[in-house]
Amino acid sequence: MATRVTGWLGLLARLVTGGVWIAAGAVKLPDPAQSVDAVRAYQLLPASLVEPVGQLLPVVEIVVGATLVLGLLTRASALVSALLFVAFIIGIASVWARGITIDCGCFGGGGYDPDAASKYPWEIARDGALLLVSLFVAWLPSTRLALDSVLFGRVPEPEGP
Amino acid sequence: MSKKSRPVGRAERAAAAMHEQQQQERRRRNLMVGGVVLALLVIIVGGYFLSRALDTSKDVQAPAAGGSKYGLTIGPDDAPHDVVIYEDFLCPYCGQLEDASRDDLARLAADGKVQVEYRPFNLLSTIGDYSERSAAVFAVVLDKSGPDVAKKLHDLLYENQPSESGPFPSDDDLIKLAVEAGADEAELKKGLAAGDGKAWVGDATQAALDAGVRGTPTVLLDGKVFQDGRTMDDLASNLVDKIG
Repeated sequence: MATRVTGWLGLLARLVTGGVWIAAGAVKLPDPAQSVDAVRAYQLLPASLVEPVGQLLPVVEIVVGATLVLGLLTRASALVSALLFVAFIIGIASVWARGITIDCGCFGGGGYDPDAASKYPWEIARDGALLLVSLFVAWLPSTRLALDSVLFGRVPEPEGP
Repeated sequence: MSKKSRPVGRAERAAAAMHEQQQQERRRRNLMVGGVVLALLVIIVGGYFLSRALDTSKDVQAPAAGGSKYGLTIGPDDAPHDVVIYEDFLCPYCGQLEDASRDDLARLAADGKVQVEYRPFNLLSTIGDYSERSAAVFAVVLDKSGPDVAKKLHDLLYENQPSESGPFPSDDDLIKLAVEAGADEAELKKGLAAGDGKAWVGDATQAALDAGVRGTPTVLLDGKVFQDGRTMDDLASNLVDKIG
């Protein structure tokens, strides 16, 4: 009974995090130059890494979002999702601590923003909540309506005597 | 003996068959997982190349320093290096870059090691009209009072740069800065009233966009977009190292 409920909760969690990733990636994908600028504004990565990371991020976001929504390699996808949220939380906390005021560039945009300091706590709270939701999905053995169960099925349990 | 062993043999055979079946199932599963992972990697790599192709920020085809109608040039024509800086007087990163690079670039230009052209344009028009107004005053000063006075005004505009959230200096404040730089007030006001400045800014902005410039500051070293630096301070010192 409990597993049935958590299975449906897992589906809900997958749709929420996956939906957020797809939205965040889809907004950025058409304008990778802006994504690169947003990454650069954090002043965290060495110059040579800024460009590949900025260009790759929207693609990875969309793929992680899609696998979560579809329930494909669910636990691994949820772990990647959790790691990305940890990275974003570190990034935002670090610009906040260094007194740099930038738009987090989470959903497009990015770069200098004079009102940024008041937004950081809410952005960190949002990413923290999504981190927990991702970890919940990674912790569940399986969720409802996942492509995983269609594709991979289950290794048959040894039958009784 | 043999009668007894038969059923045991059957059970063993059944167990072995079951085991074999499970192993096959596991192999099939691992292959499927591997295939899916591979497919996802292919999608990500393909997406990365698409993303790289869509990123045109390095495709800037701009005239070399000293070669534009919409800029202020310092340093000799025969200098071994050529730096172009597309900028907006309101852009905070332009202010940081200016702060970090101005003295070194001025020195290197005076030593004949580099020719630098500053090309202000109106990038941040969505924030307000300060970008346009400040560049318009700069344009008229450049036209009427020459590059030396225009360079002083350029520096003063950055030293007195407002925040992107305002409050913004009025036209009178800007004219005061221009006069401080050495501009002739009457001529400047006449030029501004005739709309010369704004026309110049409009054309300069179009020229920058046509060249492929999509953000500020965009720095070109010897014709190539220069982005080597984690911060504007880094970028400035790396740029100076390359030249000096």
